Amino acid sequence: MTVTLNRRSFLAATGAALVIPFTVSGVAKATANPATLTAYLRIEPDGAVTIISPVSEMGQGTHTGHAAIIADELGVDIAHVRVTVAQQPGPAYRLRFGQMRSVGSFGIRAWIDPLRKSAAQARTVLTEAAAEQWGVDKAALTVENGAVVHAASGRRLPFERLIEDAAKRPLPEEPTLRAADTRRYVGKAVSRIDTAAKIDGSAEYGIDVKLPNMLHGAVRLSPVFGAEVDSIDPASAPGAVAVAQVPGGAVVVAESWWKAKQLADGLSIRWKPTPHDKMSSADLSKAMRAGLGVVSAPAAVSRGDAVARLNAADRVVEADYEVPFLTHVSMEPITCAAQVSDSRCDVWMSTQGHDVVLDALKKATGLAGESIYIHTTYLGGGFGRKTHGEVAEQAVIASRAVGGRPVKVVWSREDDVQQGQYRPVMTARMRASLGSNGRIAAMHARLSGPMMGKEYEHVTIRDNFDFFSHAVLGNQRYVAGDYRLDHHEVDVPPSTCPWRAVSSSQNGFFLEAFIDEVAQAAGQDPLAFRKAHLADHKSHMAVLEAVERRSGWGSPLPGPNWGRGVAIVESYGSRCAQVAEVEMVDGNPVVRRVFVAFDCGEAVNPGQVEAQMTGSVIDALGPALRCQITLKDGRSEQSNFDGYPILRIDEVPEIDVEIVNTGAPIGGVGEPGLPPTAPAVANAIFAATGKRRRKMPLETA
Amino acid sequence: MATNFRLNDTAVTSTVDDDTPLLWVLRDELGLTGTKYGCGIAQCGACTVLVDGAPAPSCSLPVNAVAGQTVQTIEGLSENRNHPVQLAWAEVDVPQCGYCQSGQIMTAVALLADTPQPSDEDIDAAMSGVLCRCGTYPRIRAAIKRAAALSREG
Repeated sequence: MTVTLNRRSFLAATGAALVIPFTVSGVAKATANPATLTAYLRIEPDGAVTIISPVSEMGQGTHTGHAAIIADELGVDIAHVRVTVAQQPGPAYRLRFGQMRSVGSFGIRAWIDPLRKSAAQARTVLTEAAAEQWGVDKAALTVENGAVVHAASGRRLPFERLIEDAAKRPLPEEPTLRAADTRRYVGKAVSRIDTAAKIDGSAEYGIDVKLPNMLHGAVRLSPVFGAEVDSIDPASAPGAVAVAQVPGGAVVVAESWWKAKQLADGLSIRWKPTPHDKMSSADLSKAMRAGLGVVSAPAAVSRGDAVARLNAADRVVEADYEVPFLTHVSMEPITCAAQVSDSRCDVWMSTQGHDVVLDALKKATGLAGESIYIHTTYLGGGFGRKTHGEVAEQAVIASRAVGGRPVKVVWSREDDVQQGQYRPVMTARMRASLGSNGRIAAMHARLSGPMMGKEYEHVTIRDNFDFFSHAVLGNQRYVAGDYRLDHHEVDVPPSTCPWRAVSSSQNGFFLEAFIDEVAQAAGQDPLAFRKAHLADHKSHMAVLEAVERRSGWGSPLPGPNWGRGVAIVESYGSRCAQVAEVEMVDGNPVVRRVFVAFDCGEAVNPGQVEAQMTGSVIDALGPALRCQITLKDGRSEQSNFDGYPILRIDEVPEIDVEIVNTGAPIGGVGEPGLPPTAPAVANAIFAATGKRRRKMPLETA
Repeated sequence: MATNFRLNDTAVTSTVDDDTPLLWVLRDELGLTGTKYGCGIAQCGACTVLVDGAPAPSCSLPVNAVAGQTVQTIEGLSENRNHPVQLAWAEVDVPQCGYCQSGQIMTAVALLADTPQPSDEDIDAAMSGVLCRCGTYPRIRAAIKRAAALSREG
């Protein structure tokens, strides 16, 4: 074989930048070693700054935000900042629920204060080191472009000449932060620090990892959710280096992935029967809808006596809604490379669930956490799916099966679509009574479907409230008084999983589609009706008024088959209102324009906030219009993009985004743009047709 | 059977089974991982490369189909990210996760080679085969127009 390796592939083949801590040589060094000054910060011998981030970069732009925060507070050029992800979960990298995970739109809002403080601590000890070296008062010193500066004498010491001394100094508990007006990056639309690597093919994703002596693994997993292996005939995979049994199936290991995949497809394997071998979506829907009529179910929220008031009321609006399973289809499929010995385990992985992976690896290897290293690459999308750890376990089992050689397991797209871990199916019955003042007097939301939080060991469900099932409906702002949210639990065969705005997206659809129906029953304009109920909530009002203004709410639309719909959802500590303009063509909605107004408080990078809003709307439209996972014979009927048609460029509506800041505490960005889209489109369909569609996806309703 | 072709201006030989998809030859045998696997059935465009200048889904193209031909991947587009399409991509700050962007960029390069000043309809027609899960489509459209302007300005 004649292979010409260019420099880039040579570097990748010898160990990627994300794998081995990066150091730059060829610069005059004050010290030979980098200095790790805090849990989040390391200064390299050439003065470059490495952030040890608790968060993975999966497209949401968090690493650029972290770089901006650190660059401003430390006083360095953002071009000299690089970001890596911590290799071992620990208290410094865990969210308040005790897990290191890149979830919940926490990437900036949870870490801005710790990162800023960390940079201020580093700046303080660097400044103290310079003050001592020069024999001047540290108050006379400033930082600028990676150096401590003594303005009075014009002297300047770059950080790299101070790190040896600085690293010995105790970090101040409460360092002084720089004034906000010194910031060059935070609050401005800073270009992403990962753009360069993402336009020349050099960015390394999990699927790209290459290790010396590495083998490749393809999986063959049960098509029926949760079925266990009955028997495997390894002789049916001639030429395989190994056939390793894993939970639910096998990993076939070969010299190349393509070969492994061919052998996995041809593997003779049988699974044990399950109780749901014949289950279909219709069965599931029937079971869930039966739960809507059950007299009592455990309440997650109960204020006053909503049910009694509704039963006694003259004017009650009632409607049932349903949403299907949804999958993630991250462009990069599920993958992990592992190398394991008796004393150490390394995985290279595009993961957003570090503590989940760590737990899976501890169980799979029997090793203690300190012997396990998770090397995080870029993620080719995550959307919640890459919080799970089953592929890490598979890779470890495969590596063991070949004597500890590294094995990279890559799932095919079909594996990704068909192996469950879906956004939950759910049904809802919404009831509200109207008072004589035209406002909602009492409301009852009944959910019937799975309770996702019960699948997680780390989730504590208190008083029946499960964040993974009850967001948005749990803190709706329309009814301050009599309100009940309860949940009839229905077990489902596929595992459920975080999905961009999980529970906020289902419940946002239920609530905002229903509020539109109540407004209609009250004979009021749906936007005015919302404002009348949300008048005491400044941020809600600001985003509603912004979309009202920008969309020209109430103005004529281009044709009789057009309609406008509004929705507002508060999730992840932010408020997002949207107006969708829809044209009905041959009975189906075509979304022409979407207006977005968003308030997350301080926008650290407005350019990326805009990108997340635009991307969230486009993400939401696939499921709103037509994407779904349906079950037949206990398995998914869809297997690839042909059956799960997310939006293509020619279908994208015009999207208009306004970022509003009402001074609210900093909120999340990656997820809250998604929930309002589907209900805004559903409400626009009603405005165009006079008919409600209450089941997603809306195209086939 | 060995398959010879030109890859990014260099003669290469693949020695794996010659019905192996070009994608896996590029990624696993020749070590160029900029071209991505997304679906394996020519539905998503993440694996798009140029074969004799035309965009092709390398996941569904056996390597023997490119024998004697010229294949260009993202790694061969420029020495220093200075192809007009890359310059425009950087200026507009297109990528989010970035995984599909090699396929987007190679498809855009082919579009602009054929149609230096594309209309929105031209962009729709050429680019609708390449999925982006992050929804960077509006910026992709803006960047293609910017690349066209950069080429026009010379």
